[in-house]
Amino acid sequence: MHRFLTALTARPWLVFAAVIAVSAAFLVAARGNTRMETDLDKYMPKDHPAFIYSDEAEEWFDINDGIIIAIEHADGVYNPGTLSKVKDLTKELERHDLIGRGDVTSLYTVDNITGSEVGLDVRSFYSKVPESESEVEALRASVKANDMIHGRLVSADETVTLVIAELGDEAFSQEFYREILDLTAAYEGPEKLYVAGRPIVEGTMAYLAPKDMKRMVPIVLLIITAVLALVLRSPKSTFFTLLVVVLSTLWTFGLMAWLGIPIYAVSTMIPVMLIAIGVADGIHIYGHLGHYQRERPEASARDGASEMIRGMWKPVVMTSVTTAVGFVSLLTSDVYPIKYFGMFTAFGVMSAMILSLVLIPAAVVAFGLPGARRAKAKAKPEATDGIAATFGKGVMKYRGVIIAVTAIVVVVSVIGATKIWINSSFLEKFERDSDIVLTDAFINERFGGTSTLNVILESPDDGAMKRPDVLRLMDEMQTESEMLDEVGNSFGLADYLRRINKVMHADDPAFDTIPDSAELVAQYLLLYEMSGDPEMLWRTVDYDFARSNITLQLKGDDSKTINRAIQVVEEFRPRFEELGVNVNYAGSGYKGLIFTDLILKGQVKSLILSLGIIVVLLSLMFRRISAGLIGVIPITITAIVSFGVMGLLNIPLSTTTALISSIAVGVGIDYAVHFMERFRVAAKRTGDVFATIADAMHHSGRAIMFNAVVVIAGFLVLLFSAFPPNRALGALVSGNMFISLLGTVTIMVVVMVQTKFYFKK
Amino acid sequence: MKTIGALAVLILVIAAGFVSAEEPSGLDVTVEEPSGLELIESVYYRPDGEDMQSRLTMTLVNSRGGTRVREIRQFMKDFGDVEKKVMFFESPADVRNTSFMNWSYTAVEQDDDQWIYLPALKKVKRISSDSKGDYFMGSDFTYDDLGDRHPTSDTHTVLGREDVNGEPCYVVESVPVEEEYIYGRTVSWIVEDKWVVVKKDFYDEDDELLKTLTVDEYGDIDGYWVVMHSTMHHVQREHTTIMALDDIQLDTGIPENKFTERMMARGL
Repeated sequence: MHRFLTALTARPWLVFAAVIAVSAAFLVAARGNTRMETDLDKYMPKDHPAFIYSDEAEEWFDINDGIIIAIEHADGVYNPGTLSKVKDLTKELERHDLIGRGDVTSLYTVDNITGSEVGLDVRSFYSKVPESESEVEALRASVKANDMIHGRLVSADETVTLVIAELGDEAFSQEFYREILDLTAAYEGPEKLYVAGRPIVEGTMAYLAPKDMKRMVPIVLLIITAVLALVLRSPKSTFFTLLVVVLSTLWTFGLMAWLGIPIYAVSTMIPVMLIAIGVADGIHIYGHLGHYQRERPEASARDGASEMIRGMWKPVVMTSVTTAVGFVSLLTSDVYPIKYFGMFTAFGVMSAMILSLVLIPAAVVAFGLPGARRAKAKAKPEATDGIAATFGKGVMKYRGVIIAVTAIVVVVSVIGATKIWINSSFLEKFERDSDIVLTDAFINERFGGTSTLNVILESPDDGAMKRPDVLRLMDEMQTESEMLDEVGNSFGLADYLRRINKVMHADDPAFDTIPDSAELVAQYLLLYEMSGDPEMLWRTVDYDFARSNITLQLKGDDSKTINRAIQVVEEFRPRFEELGVNVNYAGSGYKGLIFTDLILKGQVKSLILSLGIIVVLLSLMFRRISAGLIGVIPITITAIVSFGVMGLLNIPLSTTTALISSIAVGVGIDYAVHFMERFRVAAKRTGDVFATIADAMHHSGRAIMFNAVVVIAGFLVLLFSAFPPNRALGALVSGNMFISLLGTVTIMVVVMVQTKFYFKK
Repeated sequence: MKTIGALAVLILVIAAGFVSAEEPSGLDVTVEEPSGLELIESVYYRPDGEDMQSRLTMTLVNSRGGTRVREIRQFMKDFGDVEKKVMFFESPADVRNTSFMNWSYTAVEQDDDQWIYLPALKKVKRISSDSKGDYFMGSDFTYDDLGDRHPTSDTHTVLGREDVNGEPCYVVESVPVEEEYIYGRTVSWIVEDKWVVVKKDFYDEDDELLKTLTVDEYGDIDGYWVVMHSTMHHVQREHTTIMALDDIQLDTGIPENKFTERMMARGL
C-alpha cells in the first residue's frame, strides 16, 4: 500500500489525469440522472406493520390530506361578494387536474339537511349566489342552525370560511403549490386568503431544505477556505485540500446518480458533511509535512511527498475507515433515505481518503513544497516547550480535576438526556414567524385544527358499526377527546346519526342522540344514502359496517399533541374490546409519529453498533483491546453530552437532530486515532511519559485542534441558515466537535497516562 | 306508460313516412334520417305498459371489491301527467319494509315528490331535494339516468350509426341546455326500431369519461321492450351498480291507492 502510493508520486501527471478522468465520468453521470425526491411518502418504510395498516385504512376510507384555504372577510363572510368567491374558488379547484371533482369541500358543495314536522329537506346552501339581503340572511341562519357546518366550515364569529381540497398521495409538487398560491392570490381583496394543511407544509419543507443547503454550501466552502488558508498558511495547500473535498462530493453525487438513487432531503446535508470532514486528511498530511520540513529544511519535494505518505497513510486510512464505519452503521436504519445517507457519506469519506493520499503528494511533487513556513521554522521552539507542551503539563497536573469535571458533566448529561423528547412535527421545522406557521395558527384558532388523527375501529362482525352500543361509545369517545385543548373537533359515523335522528324528529334537540335500535340506524343510513352525499358517509364506515373511521382534528402535528389524543382514545380501548371492537390508528400524522420513532430507534441501534465496531477496529489497529476502549472515551462522552444538552435545552429529537450522534461518532473518533497514533510513536521513541505527552500534544494536538476549528467553523455557518433544523444541526455538530476535541486532549490523555498505555511492559 | 306521447310520436313517424314516400324526387329515402331529438323522444315515449311490477336486485360494488346487495319490490304506474313509483325493501333484513315513493311529473319544470317510510320510526316523511342530479339510493344511477330526464332538457345530435352486439344502432350525443349539470354531454347507442338504449357514455364538464352504462339484457315482455339487466360503471369513482329485474309483470292493473302513504306504511 505504502510502496504503491510512494511509487505514484513519481508520476504526478498520471495521477492528475486519472483523477480528472474519474471525476469527469462521475460528472457525466451526475448531470444526466440527478433527481430530487420530494414525496415524503417515499421516505417511509413500506413494509412496517403500522404503515401497511395505515395505508390500508387510508384506502378503505379514502383518507387524504387536504389543502385548507381560509377566506377571511373582516365584516363577516355572509355577503354576495365573498359567497361568490367561495363558489368560484371551489369550481376552479375542482377543475384542477390533481384534484378530483368530489374532493373539494366548501359551503358551496356541502348539503344542508334540515327537518320539519312533515319531512326532510336536503339541499345545498346555495347554488346561485344570494344577492338580496334577506337571501343572505336566510343562508346565514341555515348555516348557524347546522352544527355539522357552523364552526367547521364557517368560523364561530362568521368572519372566516374554509375551502378544503383533498389531494391524492403523489399529487403534491412545488409547481402545484405555486399554482395554488397564484390561484388564491387572485381572490384577495377585500377578503384575505390563507393556505395551510399538511400537503403544503410537507411540500414547502421538501422544497426549502435543499434550497437552503444549496445556499449554504458556497458559504461553508468560503469559510473553510479562509480557515484553511489561516491554518495551512499556503495557498497551494489550501487549494489542493479543497480540491479533495470538492471532488469527493462530486464522486459521491455522481455515484448516487449512476445507481439511480434520488436525492432525499437528508442527502442534501452530504456536501456540508464531506467538506467539513474531508479537509481533515489534508490538514493532517500537510501538518506532518510541515513538521518534517522544520526538521529537514533541505528536503526535496519528492522526499516530502514520500514522508507525507510514510508518516500519514496509516492514521489517514484509520481515521477514514472509522469515520466511514460511523456512517455505514446507519445502514441498520429501517428508513431508506438514512441508509443512503450513511452509505454515500461513507463512500465520500473513502473517496476523500484516496484523493488525499494520491492527489496531495502528487501536487507536492508537481508544484513544489508549500514554502510559507520555512522561514519561521527555525525560530520554533522544540517540542518540550511551547503552548502544546504547557497544556500537556497542565493536563497531567490537574488530572483529578479533569476526572471530577468529566464525571460531573456526564452525570448532568445523563440526567438531561432523560428529559429528551421526540418530535415528529413538520410544522415546527419552520420559523415561528413564517407564513406557514402563522397561517396554521390562524386557522387552528378559528377551526377544529389543521392536523388530523384517524382512529380506526374494527370488528370481525359485519354490521357491528350499526349497533347502538358501539355508536354510543364512539360518540362518548369523541366527546371526551374534544375536551382536550389539543383536539378541536372530531367527526365520525355517530355525527351523521345524531344529525339525522334530530332532523327526523323535526329538529328537536332532545333527539340529538344515537338512535335506540340497530334497525333504525340502518334505516337512517339508507335514508342518508338516498338523500345526502353517500361518498361522505363512506369516509366514516365501510360497506360491511365492520369498520369505522373517526377523524380527530388536532391543533398541532407535534408528537405531544398526537400522543395526548391517543392517550384519551386508549382509555376507551378496553370498553371497545368488550364490545368486540378493535382500535387502531391511521393517517399522515400518525405515520409521522411512527416514522420518527423508527428513526430514533434506528439511531440508537446504529450508534451502539458503530461504537462496537470502532472498539474492534481500534483494538486491531493498535493491537490491544485497551486502545479500543480508551479511544471511544471522547466520542462516548460527546454522544452523552449531546443528548444531555438537547434534553436540558428542550431541543426535541427529530429526523435531523437524530443524525448528529452518528456524525459526532464518525468524525470525533478521528481525533482520538490521530492522537493515539502519535502517542504510540512518541512513547516508543522517548520512553518518557512527559516527553510523549508533549510530543503528541505538539504534533497531533495541534493538527486535531486545527481540524476541529475547521469543522466547527464550517458547521457554525449553518447557524445563518433560514431553515431552523439546519441551524440546530450546525450548533449541535459544532458543539459535539468541540467536546470531542476537548475530551481527546484531556480525559483521554489522563486515562492513557493512568493506565500506563504504551508504557506497560 | 307515456302512451299518449308514444302514440303521438308513432303517428308522426308514420306521417313522416308517407310524406317522404310521396316526395316526387324520392330517389334516396335514407336521406330522411330522424333527428337526434326524434330519436331520444322515441326512447322516452317508447311504450312500456300502463303499469309494471318487478323485483329489483341492486348490487353495489366499490373500488375495493366490497359488495352490497339490496332486494326491492317495485311498482310503477303511468297516470299521464304523473308517473308514480313505490319501492319496498325486502333485504337487507335491517331495512326490510322501508319504503320509498316517487311521483315524477311530465311537466319539465315540476320537481318530483318523494316520501320515505322507516318502519323503525313508524313514520312517513317527505323528502325534498333540490338536485335531480342526485344519485339514486347511493347507486351510480341518478334519477335522470333512470329515465326521468326530459328530452327537451338536452340538445341532441346524431353522430352516426354503429352496430352494438350485432344490432344496428343510432349514436346520439346529448348536451344539456342548462349550465352546471353533472354531465357535460352523454352519448347513447339506440337500437333502431326497438328504441332501447343499449349503451351510454357519460362525460363530465371537463369532457372526461365519468360513467358508462351497459345494457346486458333486454327483451320483449308482453309486446314491450324491457331492460332486464344493466350495469353502470362510475369510471372516476371506480364504483359499479348492477340493476337486475325479474318477476316482471306488466299491465296487471295496479290500483291507484298502491301509491299512497298508507300503503307505504303497510309494507309488503
